[in-house]
Amino acid sequence: MKVILQCPVAVVGVPALSRKRPLVLSPFLGQTALAHTLSGLSGEGAKQICLQAGERTAEVLRAVGAGEVWGLKITGPDERDFAGARRFILDSLPQAPDLALWASYPVWFDAQMALLERMARQRVGMRELRPGVFVGLRTRLAPDARLTGPLWIGDNVFIGPGSVVGPQAVVEDDSYLDDGSEVVESIVGPGTYAGSFTELRRSFAWGRDLLQLDTGSLTEVQDRFLLSEAAAPKFSLTRLWKQWRHRLPIP
Amino acid sequence: MKLHHSPGVLVVTGLQELNATNAASVRDGVRGAVTSEVTGVDIDLSKTRFVDSSGLGALIAIHKLMLARGGHVRVLNPIHAVEQVFEVTRLNRLFEVVKI
Repeated sequence: MKVILQCPVAVVGVPALSRKRPLVLSPFLGQTALAHTLSGLSGEGAKQICLQAGERTAEVLRAVGAGEVWGLKITGPDERDFAGARRFILDSLPQAPDLALWASYPVWFDAQMALLERMARQRVGMRELRPGVFVGLRTRLAPDARLTGPLWIGDNVFIGPGSVVGPQAVVEDDSYLDDGSEVVESIVGPGTYAGSFTELRRSFAWGRDLLQLDTGSLTEVQDRFLLSEAAAPKFSLTRLWKQWRHRLPIP
Repeated sequence: MKLHHSPGVLVVTGLQELNATNAASVRDGVRGAVTSEVTGVDIDLSKTRFVDSSGLGALIAIHKLMLARGGHVRVLNPIHAVEQVFEVTRLNRLFEVVKI
């Protein structure tokens, strides 16, 4: 099956999500919305994808490579070989076509909460510590951290002593929540450091960017000890693997 | 920064930002203007575009000063971005944030 995949790169309802990278590459439950879409299309039998993302097509194509990871052949925006192909607009996921993604920040947040359990059960290495509390690989949790589901904690995350996480929270891969921090009804983007006793409610924090989901207010936090990018080690085998795995001829 | 007195209250206005460059002068300016008649300090942040930890430190110093005198500090009309900084540091629980 051939599919023409049209990717919005910025949407009026959620401008902050496309601040750092094209909208479809914004974090969504451990991956990007685009990666989930490609998994879904592959599961429905797609073999070839014509990917279109306006003026940012090249950037999006770089992020997904040729598509071997999903068993797909992904090509650029040229539709000539795709006559009669199915057209899919990435404003919802193939796994949940009735669930809008980008209408507003609360809609985007609610979509993640609606899919949290289903996606967590499909993710390799994810453990369900308690009903609704999903934790990824190589994640360290302080014994007195309070975790309340529904909750997603990704791979290689540190949750410090006295922290409160959940209900309705997502902490993406490689993030670090320092002692006493609170993340409630919020999403912490990948590779984010939240300092001691910081509190996130109805927010999306990614690096130094802090977005209030209900008002849409976006601020860049000035102090790195409050909120910042988590410092990555100079050399990491995991990072190297993530960067190169798309290019290796591994089935 | 402008300081003026209304009965019993010191009102601070005109802060474009509250950060390391002006936090000490704001703190010292308010300290100097708090007389025995002043029981409250209203800090108008409606024009303040951003606040950092030095600015928050100045606000906490003013809060401690007024607490020792049995007075209070109110933060007036912060913009959303500044309000978010108050929330993430939990200082919205310490200060009375008033929107008029």
